[in-house]
Amino acid sequence: MPFREINSKMIEAQVGPGQKLFSQRGAMLAYKGEVSFTPNIQGGQGGIASMIGRRVAGEATPLMTVEGSGTVMFGHGGHHIQLINLTGETLYVEADRLLAFDGTLQQGTMFMGSQGGVMGMVRGQVTGQGLFTTTLKGHGAVAVMAHGGVIEIPITPQRPVHVDPQAYVAHHGDVRNKLSTALGWRDMVGRGSGEAFQLELSGNGAVYVQASEEKL
Amino acid sequence: MSGPVVHDPMTLPVDDNVNAYTFCVELKGSQWFLQKGKMIAYYGSIEFNGIGYGRLDRLVRTSFHSPLHASDWVVAEGSGKMLLADRSFDVNSYDLENGNLTIRSGNLLAYQPTLALKQSIVPGFLTLIGTGKFVAASNGPVVFMEPPIRVDPQALVGWADCPSPCHHYDHGYMSGVMGGVRALTGIGGASGEEHQFEFVGAGTVLLQSSEALMAEQATGHVPQQAGVPGGHGTPGQPGVPRLPGQLGGLQRRFGL
Repeated sequence: MPFREINSKMIEAQVGPGQKLFSQRGAMLAYKGEVSFTPNIQGGQGGIASMIGRRVAGEATPLMTVEGSGTVMFGHGGHHIQLINLTGETLYVEADRLLAFDGTLQQGTMFMGSQGGVMGMVRGQVTGQGLFTTTLKGHGAVAVMAHGGVIEIPITPQRPVHVDPQAYVAHHGDVRNKLSTALGWRDMVGRGSGEAFQLELSGNGAVYVQASEEKL
Repeated sequence: MSGPVVHDPMTLPVDDNVNAYTFCVELKGSQWFLQKGKMIAYYGSIEFNGIGYGRLDRLVRTSFHSPLHASDWVVAEGSGKMLLADRSFDVNSYDLENGNLTIRSGNLLAYQPTLALKQSIVPGFLTLIGTGKFVAASNGPVVFMEPPIRVDPQALVGWADCPSPCHHYDHGYMSGVMGGVRALTGIGGASGEEHQFEFVGAGTVLLQSSEALMAEQATGHVPQQAGVPGGHGTPGQPGVPRLPGQLGGLQRRFGL
């Protein structure tokens, strides 16, 4: 586990020889030891093909590679940081929420339409994820940014979780999500509850929710 | 969970935090310097006078050495309790005992007149010298680190006990063939971490946990004098036309 939480807005990462971290550009706060920060043309892992894939998908957040040996502190924009440990499962998260992640994790892009077709694309629009989202898979740690504090809600097959799309941060595990609408005549006449759209997550895993409806 | 805590003049803490975002100062005929606009409420009879007011002349002479900064500061005088806060940033007090501490000017809220406030040689920073208490704000809790350390300029709150601050440039990725291509075309961009403040020596470095800066308080201009850092503008660079996309400023700094 290379990451350690210093406080709610700051994490510390250990880098050693042969290890690699990816982090958002400009998110380094301080470091000890000999560490180098190289802007990453590909915006993450993989070759040119993955890079083009990310560009097309609009998931090409500027990343940098962190190498060397020492301790690095990360934080960005006063956002709260949530550490997520992955043990083989896949994390779905928006690329611009990624603060830093282990170089051992496999990065990929997922088309929202692949889960639920057109409805999946609508869902992407409502959650602000767009048509694509980033996936991270493997064993390692991820630091994710959120506006306001983050809570983790477990999802079990018996208990689906409903989340406000704007407060949704990330989810991992074997989770199916769908957008449930509760549009009624009240919404049409402008007397809606303001909670017409909800994200329903069911399956096995966990969802991370931020205490704010503001985007990053 | 209970309801909100209701404070009255008796239960307000004395020279301590009310919560993470508010600090309470007790005045008993004493004086405090505070930055304008940081007082949010007070009990008792407290007078706020701008610096430069005749009666405070002596006080200002002994503990305020940033003349061009004077318009941002007031002296609170009287008896009562006053609450200080700043845009919901975390607020904390620090005690100095015959010590010194340099802090980003926008982060300092208030200090006891037993401390002397001076403009630091490093532009944008203020140094407090002496014994006493001061109150400072930071974006997120302050983290204390020991040198040697390199710090992003925006994450730096200040430093104590004189570690030596200097600039550190790191642009290894701009060398070599690929680096040259990157520097010339701008493909791949810059990492944003080419420049850090490096601290070596004995002391403590204070970091805030985010890069969101608080508004810079003008520390005033330093005298236009030979040998004074920042005393004059940088001489104009002979114009080499820059190609679109080049990392111009960085390249020039690194002599590429």
